[in-house]
Amino acid sequence: MTSHAATIETGVRRPERGLGVYDKKVGMWVFLCSEVMFFTGLIGSYIILRFGASSTWPMPGEVLNVPVTAVNTFILICSSMTMVKAFAAIEHGDQRGLRLFLLATAVIGALFVSVQVYEYRELIHHGFLPSSGLYGATFFTMTGFHGFHVTVGVICMLWVTARAFRGGYTLEDHQGVEVIGLYWHFVDLVWIILFTIVYLI
Amino acid sequence: MATIVAEATGTPILEEEHGRPFIRKYIFSTDHKTIGIQFLFMSLFFLLVGGLLALLIRYQLAWPGRPIPLGQGLPETVAPAGVMLPEFYNALVTMHGTFMVFFAIMPLLVGVYANYLIPLQIGARDMAFPRLNMASFWISVPAGLIMLASFMVEGGAAGAGWTSYAPLSARPDLSGVSLGQQMWIVSLVLLGLGSILGAVNYITTVTNMRAPGMTWFRLPLSVWSLFITAILVLLAMPVLSAAAIMLLFDQTIGTNFFLASQGGQPLLWQHLFWFFGHPEVYILILPAMGMVSEIIANGSRKPIFGYRSMVFAIIAIAFLGFIVWGHHMFQSGMNPALAMSFMISTLVIAVPSAIKVFNWMATMWEGNIHLHTPMLFAVGFVMLFVIGGLSGVYMAATPVDIFIHDTYFIVAHIHYVLFGGSLFAIFGAIYYWFPKMFGRMINPTVGKIHFALTFVLFNVTFFPMHGLGMGGMMRRIYDPEQYEHIAGMQDTNVLVSLAAIGLFATGLLFLVIFLYSLFRGKPAPANPWNATTLEWQTPSPPKHGNWKEIPVVYHGPYEYSHPAMDRDWLAQNERPDVVSPAHQPATGSTPLQKGGASE
Amino acid sequence: MNETETPLEVGEHRAPRYMAIWGALAVLTMIEVGVAFLGMPRSVTILALLGLAIWKALLVALYFMHLRFEPKLLRVVAAAPLIPAIILVVLVLFEY
Repeated sequence: MTSHAATIETGVRRPERGLGVYDKKVGMWVFLCSEVMFFTGLIGSYIILRFGASSTWPMPGEVLNVPVTAVNTFILICSSMTMVKAFAAIEHGDQRGLRLFLLATAVIGALFVSVQVYEYRELIHHGFLPSSGLYGATFFTMTGFHGFHVTVGVICMLWVTARAFRGGYTLEDHQGVEVIGLYWHFVDLVWIILFTIVYLI
Repeated sequence: MATIVAEATGTPILEEEHGRPFIRKYIFSTDHKTIGIQFLFMSLFFLLVGGLLALLIRYQLAWPGRPIPLGQGLPETVAPAGVMLPEFYNALVTMHGTFMVFFAIMPLLVGVYANYLIPLQIGARDMAFPRLNMASFWISVPAGLIMLASFMVEGGAAGAGWTSYAPLSARPDLSGVSLGQQMWIVSLVLLGLGSILGAVNYITTVTNMRAPGMTWFRLPLSVWSLFITAILVLLAMPVLSAAAIMLLFDQTIGTNFFLASQGGQPLLWQHLFWFFGHPEVYILILPAMGMVSEIIANGSRKPIFGYRSMVFAIIAIAFLGFIVWGHHMFQSGMNPALAMSFMISTLVIAVPSAIKVFNWMATMWEGNIHLHTPMLFAVGFVMLFVIGGLSGVYMAATPVDIFIHDTYFIVAHIHYVLFGGSLFAIFGAIYYWFPKMFGRMINPTVGKIHFALTFVLFNVTFFPMHGLGMGGMMRRIYDPEQYEHIAGMQDTNVLVSLAAIGLFATGLLFLVIFLYSLFRGKPAPANPWNATTLEWQTPSPPKHGNWKEIPVVYHGPYEYSHPAMDRDWLAQNERPDVVSPAHQPATGSTPLQKGGASE
Repeated sequence: MNETETPLEVGEHRAPRYMAIWGALAVLTMIEVGVAFLGMPRSVTILALLGLAIWKALLVALYFMHLRFEPKLLRVVAAAPLIPAIILVVLVLFEY
């Protein structure tokens, strides 16, 4: 703390540096931290109930349809691919690529949800319900909330796509695209974990 | 003379507020100050509700089975002939805790002061995401309404305690409450969402939108504490949401997460709830500590002693707060080795809290003390928080807690830290920032009367509960006279209830003072407390957009009694060698009560 | 407004890298399904599957979510919730 007048600067002072990343991106990452904790609550409970509380648990493939879900996993990964290509497109100023790949992402995401719904219906038809023991309870809760997050993602993706078709994103300003991309990849990431521990282990 | 021009940071100023229609300016506003004030009105309302519920509880405990005054108006299902049913009593204790924790204290600390103070104290124009901020508030309101409405449904409001332990909370056949328990969950999930979105805003804003020169270690302690609190909200609340949803499924769609008879684990609920619940109680105290630091520095005319250690203590408390949750479960039958690790971590967490207490005392030591109303509440906070913290040390020791768990000893502790602690800090904060928020002063004499009455009546209400608890009086019981070992302490219960009635009346007095001052308080200057932080260098109340020019910050937040200055304070955006007329207090400060070195 | 740091030059080599990641993810998924039904000892299977899942998750996080090229502090923020998450699960597992 100086009282000397020696160093009086002139010119423009920038705001404090912060994270070095624009606000919306910080906001989305911070929000994703909370989502990690939400899924930790669900998935952590599953792990505790299954591996801690030692009860008999069906082996992979006994109840759930692994082949179909494996394909569905691939489908979701494809949607992450199209999302990233959409972002790459607008980073080059390619409006057409942006619109095409955003639309593809939304459509493929919706396909994922549809396959999930189909799977649910099959399971319920065969008498496998949320009330079917801890296996049913944890399965439907975890995948159900994941599916809910994908659905919200699809809705937002459609909104972003519509905005892209109206020319709402440019080479200079496409923060919204990157930010919804982050959410979308996160949802894919959660599924990667879920598929492994729910269907394969 | 060369000057530094600061670049505007964050959101551009929206169109002039006075051009906006009423509904956009006061109802669906995106201005952080308006949202903070909205939270204030909402929370004070729920504080009143919580207080009323407490009154009913205390009436029943002091005079069990007697008709409640004016109770004939209550429906037959809760209080036939005005005598409350045990089931209704369960709902009362549950909802008192729920309303106070989630809809009064938490929003009063976070919803109000994170919103109001953060942009002002860091030199920003508003939050990073103003519309998200508005959404946070407007999600919290229906959450509160759902909670209130749950009193009116069949089966009444939730009655399994604010901690909602399974299996009682999951089984309507055990608790007698069905829809009420479900509404409790829905309400809290909504509130959780609002809080999490708020946390995203606060964290992003503090991280990215600090004015030039406002480095991390020049932030006011209010901002530090609110920032760390936001991180706790971010990481802890989602776990409650997940657990609550699982509980809702147990109640409604036949799952069995927490129902032992079908393979589930009731103890899992406790772990999940307290994994959230313990960070939650630090959410309820850290902002209070931050604001108390602010006020004590101001009232002592000295910088906070040990600013850096205060920051590290806040961080330490928050981090340790994630590994102590088991101390709420010592009686649950948990693994004893696990219990021991929780005992150790809980004892350790007392250390950073103690560091803060010593720092407050050192700040006041040989300070030029001005006992204005906020300062009274801040000092009261320190005293009462110490008592609450000390009882916490007893409870941390597992063997002791096995005896006093679920007794009134715990109730005493809770209220010393939440009322003597958090609420005293909130009162201090309200008195302190009222001039800034509303452009009016609260009469100091009336404020001091409020303080004195509250302090005395609070202690008479809650200190005897330590004795009641050690004498074996359990929590949440309907009729103390039913139990031989408690019946002998009934006189104490009556004393406590009488004091509680007085305490409630004092609370009503405060509401009257508050409302009166809103309309008839003396007009406030920009800086009535001669304070150093940035919010005091704007008009009272500040304009939309907060600053004509973003301020530039030159030093830390508590430069009171700076050697280079004639007056005993130096604003954060002032330099002692360049105190130009533009930086003098706008309309001249109100001289502080006990004549001091200022002016 | 904060500056957006452009971490790398936006070059043509960016797109094929994404395709490579996508390909890797597809292959890893197939390997996972195979491993699950290989009939190895249970703990080996579990470890292998977890390892594969983590590998896939890292690919998504580091490349699709761009973390590999972001400021270090953002990586810290992204990884931070894993600590309380692990604490919750590990400590509660001690109950059993």
